[in-house]
Amino acid sequence: MAHYTPPKQGKASQLFDVVVLVVLTIGALFVPLWLNMAGAAKSVANPIADPTWEALGQNAAQAAKYEALGFTPETAHDLILARFDYSFSIGALLTMIVVIVLYYFLILRFSEVEYREVISEKFGK
Amino acid sequence: MELWNYIEYGAWALAALLGLHMLVDWLKTDSTYDEDVLISSREGELEAMAEEHKVH
Amino acid sequence: MADVDITSQTMDGMGPHGTKVGLLRVLGPAHVWALGVGIVLVGEYMGWNFSVGKGGAYAALIACWFAGILYSCVAMIDSEVTSTVASAGGQYTQAKHIIGPLMAFNVGLYLVFAYTMLEAANAITAGYLFSVVATMTGYSGELDQRPFIILVITFLAWLNYRGVLATLTFNLVITAVAFSAIIILFLSTSGILGGGIMDHAALFEGHELPYGWVGVLAAMHFGLWYYLGIEGTTQAAEEVRSPARSLPFGTLAGIMTLLIAATLTWYVCSGILPWEFLGDGVDGAVAPLFSAAQLSGSMALVWLLGFGTLFATLASANGCINDASRAWFAMGRDKYLPGWFGAVHPKYRTPYRAIIFLVPIALIFALGAPLDQVITFSILSGLLGYTFMPLNIILFRRKWPLDTIKRGYEHPFHPIPAIALLTLCGVTFFAVFLGYGTQLVAMIGFYIIVSLWFHFWRYRFVNRGAQFTMPWPKPRGY
Repeated sequence: MAHYTPPKQGKASQLFDVVVLVVLTIGALFVPLWLNMAGAAKSVANPIADPTWEALGQNAAQAAKYEALGFTPETAHDLILARFDYSFSIGALLTMIVVIVLYYFLILRFSEVEYREVISEKFGK
Repeated sequence: MELWNYIEYGAWALAALLGLHMLVDWLKTDSTYDEDVLISSREGELEAMAEEHKVH
Repeated sequence: MADVDITSQTMDGMGPHGTKVGLLRVLGPAHVWALGVGIVLVGEYMGWNFSVGKGGAYAALIACWFAGILYSCVAMIDSEVTSTVASAGGQYTQAKHIIGPLMAFNVGLYLVFAYTMLEAANAITAGYLFSVVATMTGYSGELDQRPFIILVITFLAWLNYRGVLATLTFNLVITAVAFSAIIILFLSTSGILGGGIMDHAALFEGHELPYGWVGVLAAMHFGLWYYLGIEGTTQAAEEVRSPARSLPFGTLAGIMTLLIAATLTWYVCSGILPWEFLGDGVDGAVAPLFSAAQLSGSMALVWLLGFGTLFATLASANGCINDASRAWFAMGRDKYLPGWFGAVHPKYRTPYRAIIFLVPIALIFALGAPLDQVITFSILSGLLGYTFMPLNIILFRRKWPLDTIKRGYEHPFHPIPAIALLTLCGVTFFAVFLGYGTQLVAMIGFYIIVSLWFHFWRYRFVNRGAQFTMPWPKPRGY
């Protein structure tokens, strides 16, 4: 197989490649944030008026710890009652599975093509 | 001004100083040495020298 | 090539392929341990407790042990491959030799991302700690955390810039202190030394599994946080004196240390703090071991765990800078990234351009994004990397069976660890999906775009045959 000689990359082109990567990276982090799609927030489904430790479902030992931490039933109300919502749609789950599988398929496929070229140049046919 | 205000300014100053030191040293190194020397590192040196990948 | 004496002072760092200035080989197994455990131990001081919030205290323990199995597989698989592929870049170089260039490019980015994000998370936590200390010492105002975040990142980058030996010796000392602090807290609160303050049975009563079994699955997301980063030991491969021995030894000793630390941490915190408080890492226990120490009533323990937390964040950020820059450097050296990054400092013998370049990147993340977001991106990149590892080891054993190349370490029961790892990765993907599905898809979208960019543009600058540097025979089946 013919030996592949890569072109020499100039300074400006190197710089441009770095900028592209950095922009993509920062985009991946901040775009979900800007679109307000980030994070799983907890919320209180059934608030309790005039909470006591018993009403919050805390036994004596648990209540004692909260008091040692400086909480009262009022200040601990949100902390204790907030729950995550784990409901999800099958459609969203399938989308995620397809995206992950597609991604690995894509890189393994392209990698294999590139790898065969590497091996044949390194070891000969 | 409380003590912690001074510590804040100290942190700013120290961070700037360390950053500046790296920056100056970087520029000095780049202008002193030849680029070919700086990027001459190659992967797999030790394997090539010291290890034989044969089962004995 | 036997005439090249790699132990001689004048030849140090030079090599037969034309290396004039290479990385310095000075580290021993203790440094490898310090690099691995140092990065991870912060996970015991903060972050893991989100898994309590996701499913309750028992769910967190189950997640802790299943994640422990996942990481034991990671450590074994990694030890085998890296004991043969000893090179800066770690899993990146492994992928390049075993699966192919595009996979390697992706793995390199996983590494840089996971570590740079983790570094940012550590700097944020350190900044927060400074503000706590300021309040504890009677400061009335609102402390500006930014100079401390910036100072942590620049100081550690500076340390890394100046040489790897001092960097990792520093890590060894502060990691040892942070680990001892956990042991001392356990001994003095469990009743082994003096009176115990733990009350697991009463604290768990009525809250055994608040979300049921789906909570156990969800807890796996942050269960990874107990161990995330242990695979970074491989990044030191090019700076270790005898990689084939030190890397497996340091990595496996590291995972054992972490299994002990993680279990003790869970035991101490869940026996002292109610789960709702413990599980809320934002409004509740930001630093759970520190909160546990506060409830012990001992000022000495409070200071010890305060310093333990600070040291753990510093050790972790320090190790992250080390690992991320090695991966970036290795990719630059192969022209996967601009070749300019493949430079080694002639005096300090560190990948100095990679170190400097990653400083502003880490600062953007640390100053611009919320903590749980940063942690999630770090976990996601880590998770994509763990999914790669079973594919890696299966192909490694297939292309080079055991009798074709000498391995410094051979992991047992192949392919069971690989299959177990792949299964647990699947479970964790589902756990991440339960809370952060959008980020998961955004992240993978990003990797798909950069993969296309690499395959169709960037790869033209890469030497084909020359990037395969290991003196191995031709792989089977090619």
